[in-house]
Amino acid sequence: MQTVDLALNEAIQAQAGPALLATQPTVDRIPTFWITKEKIHDLLRYVKNEIDRPYKMLYDLTGIDERGRSHREGQPDSDFTAVYHLYSFGRNAYLRFKVPLPEKRPSVPTITDLWPAADWYERETWDLVGIRFDGHPHLVRLIMPRDWEGHPLRKDHPSHGTELGLNMPDQKMMEEQEQLQFDPEEWGMKRSSDGTDFLFLNLGPHHPGTHGVLRVVLQLDGEIIIDAVPDIGFHHRAQEKVAERQTWHTYLPYTDRVDYLSGVINNMAYLSSVEQLAGIEIPLRAQVIRVMMCELYRIANHFVWLGTFSQDVGQLSPVFYTFNDRERAFYIAEAITGARMHPNWFRMGGTAQDLPIGWEDLFRDFINYLPPRLDEYEREIVKNRIFKARTKGIGRTTVDEAIEWGMTGPNLRACGLGWDFRKAHPYSGYDQFEFDIPIGKNGDSYDRATVRIEEMRQSLRIIDQCVRNMPDGPYKAIHPLATPPPKPKTMHDIETLIAHFLTVSWGPVIPPGEALGAIEASKGNNGYYLISDGSTTPYRNRIRTPSFPHMQMLPLLCRGLTVSDLIAIFGSVDFVLADVDK
Amino acid sequence: MAWWSRKPDSREKELSHNHTSINDSVRGNFALARLEDLVAWGRKNSIWPFNFGLSCCYVEMATSLTSKYDIARFGAEVIRGTPREADVIVISGTVFYKASPMIKLLYQQMMAPRWVIAMGSCACSDGMFDVYSVIQGVDKFLPVDVYVTGCPPRPDSLMEGLLLLQEKVGNERRPLSWVIGPQGVEQPVFPAQRELKGPKRRRIGRLTPPDYASHDLYREGHDANR
Ligand code: SF4
Repeated sequence: MQTVDLALNEAIQAQAGPALLATQPTVDRIPTFWITKEKIHDLLRYVKNEIDRPYKMLYDLTGIDERGRSHREGQPDSDFTAVYHLYSFGRNAYLRFKVPLPEKRPSVPTITDLWPAADWYERETWDLVGIRFDGHPHLVRLIMPRDWEGHPLRKDHPSHGTELGLNMPDQKMMEEQEQLQFDPEEWGMKRSSDGTDFLFLNLGPHHPGTHGVLRVVLQLDGEIIIDAVPDIGFHHRAQEKVAERQTWHTYLPYTDRVDYLSGVINNMAYLSSVEQLAGIEIPLRAQVIRVMMCELYRIANHFVWLGTFSQDVGQLSPVFYTFNDRERAFYIAEAITGARMHPNWFRMGGTAQDLPIGWEDLFRDFINYLPPRLDEYEREIVKNRIFKARTKGIGRTTVDEAIEWGMTGPNLRACGLGWDFRKAHPYSGYDQFEFDIPIGKNGDSYDRATVRIEEMRQSLRIIDQCVRNMPDGPYKAIHPLATPPPKPKTMHDIETLIAHFLTVSWGPVIPPGEALGAIEASKGNNGYYLISDGSTTPYRNRIRTPSFPHMQMLPLLCRGLTVSDLIAIFGSVDFVLADVDK
Repeated sequence: MAWWSRKPDSREKELSHNHTSINDSVRGNFALARLEDLVAWGRKNSIWPFNFGLSCCYVEMATSLTSKYDIARFGAEVIRGTPREADVIVISGTVFYKASPMIKLLYQQMMAPRWVIAMGSCACSDGMFDVYSVIQGVDKFLPVDVYVTGCPPRPDSLMEGLLLLQEKVGNERRPLSWVIGPQGVEQPVFPAQRELKGPKRRRIGRLTPPDYASHDLYREGHDANR
């Protein structure tokens, strides 16, 4: 939770004047200001450029359909609300602005001139919530197909697929294919210049190099990439809408599938927000177990990344080795959680079970086994001449650019900024562990590789500390909202039994409020911005994923390079399409 | 099709015993089969998958290619990059509405005979994603041969699915040419796996307790159920 910053309040009050409609206290203590639509652009410019220790990163931008909400005490009237999250590295703090909008034709001015990264966020918000961004250069749907009717995250849009009865008859298939036809002029691209005709190459939506269902249209001059237009939304699983019909507890398995390579790290991100809302303190043992499992999954994630990356740049064997080592990590995960990829093992207030008897040995074997393997990988993959030739200087960014575009995680660290949310915003007791933050220098594909390999060593170091210092005590908090409630406590009297029954069957009721919980996931900063309306389900669940901004940066990284370099960039950035489209 | 062959080390012994009747040596060097069977046998043991994946399940499909699981043991490691060279498409993942025109088109580009494995709850029935952007199971628009359940199925399950498909392919009868024999495909009928495996599963009395991570206990539980 953030500390209150009075000077900031004053500065914003002075700048906004009467345009400041209200300040809203939130559970996460992130300063939240309601600003009129006319003034929001000016204010964002102010906090980005003029304030001291400015908010340089547009962390997230989204919208809320407020029409069904009952707990809005102290907030201005609003049918739709545009929500801006900013982040300041100088202050190590978040900031939130909200703009109230009417039901009829809700619109706000675009901020793409302030942050180019706002482009996709605005298109996404238009697509899913139906808020217009006046002045946006090309406000078309980002996630849903172009001919989709309605805005899915509005409360009156159907949620279930069975309601819609979707199908793909031949006729429809042809129409949809037609829609996917790429029109360069639409994107402001020329078909030719200076006597050269550009080639437009359609990479994807199904291509082995894109690591999933992603489409990128490339504008090529010979083999040189002039520009690229990523087309996403093929992997949209409506994770945000699903939350609105699941209980707080039964949404947990869905989080696993947001970044499907990182398992419990997703649970952690979601819970870091829910537990703030519920006000649950996590017992020490549960915290350490969580840290240990998160680091195990971080290593498992990096193994997939390493194997597929090296395969992308032409090394065929490493993937067999790294996947084998991933199996070793999964062997432990399975012994502890019972599952491999989607463990769904954390719970509100702790974990699903205590650690099984004999868990230390599994980890000790792993800790002894892995370091020489990592050395070997470094020697054979990263120090390989061909690998270097394919990745050094490819896909470079600077720290400023990275922040401007919302890059986080290992990719940001590869540019030379040692920023890790485990240290900057410690959660689950990460401040109690010793580990280093590996950084790179050039922000190219090669540095992204070295940073991640070193990160695996650091994760192993954290796991080692967990194994050696695992505290005793309960693995789940004794708290009325800890779900499912600890069983021994339920058999005292009829009251506790009823409470148990309700919590298990209907789910816990979380007090009204809003909280953003953000953590350092394996790919960068993953945050859940949850709104509770005092019921058994979230009113709104906004997932800020790291891969989304990374994907948006792609054209920036690949301009002027060749198609084969693009594949090396894809591999190095480490994204998962489920994490991009949600 | 009946198979007869010597074991690798048995040749010398047999020779020394002078057992080489003309019958034996013929059986050792020829395989007699109906052409139809032979073709089915060949098809069955070289089912080449299309390099196709949609989401989480694809990672487990890829894992089944790597060393620990090694799907090459069943002749299905030759991943093809183009649908025209592939025999089976494993729908490994969620059938997104926006991606489904492409799924269907890729399937249509495959050459007959072609098969479909629906891998994972999403592809089978849409699993936990009954949402506006997802088609409720790939069998809404593709004919599915084998359903592999799980979320995601373990690589072992996918391989079991492959074996089932092989059984099916081996017993399928297709015309050898448009001028030979009756036309049309004869499909064998398979009972649901639940019926075959149910009785044995119901007999299992002892499960591995979740509180132990040690190998011995796991094995003990395993042996007790033999
Ligand atoms: S079945 Fe499960 S693992 Fe497979 S794609 Fe669907 S959600 Fe992912």
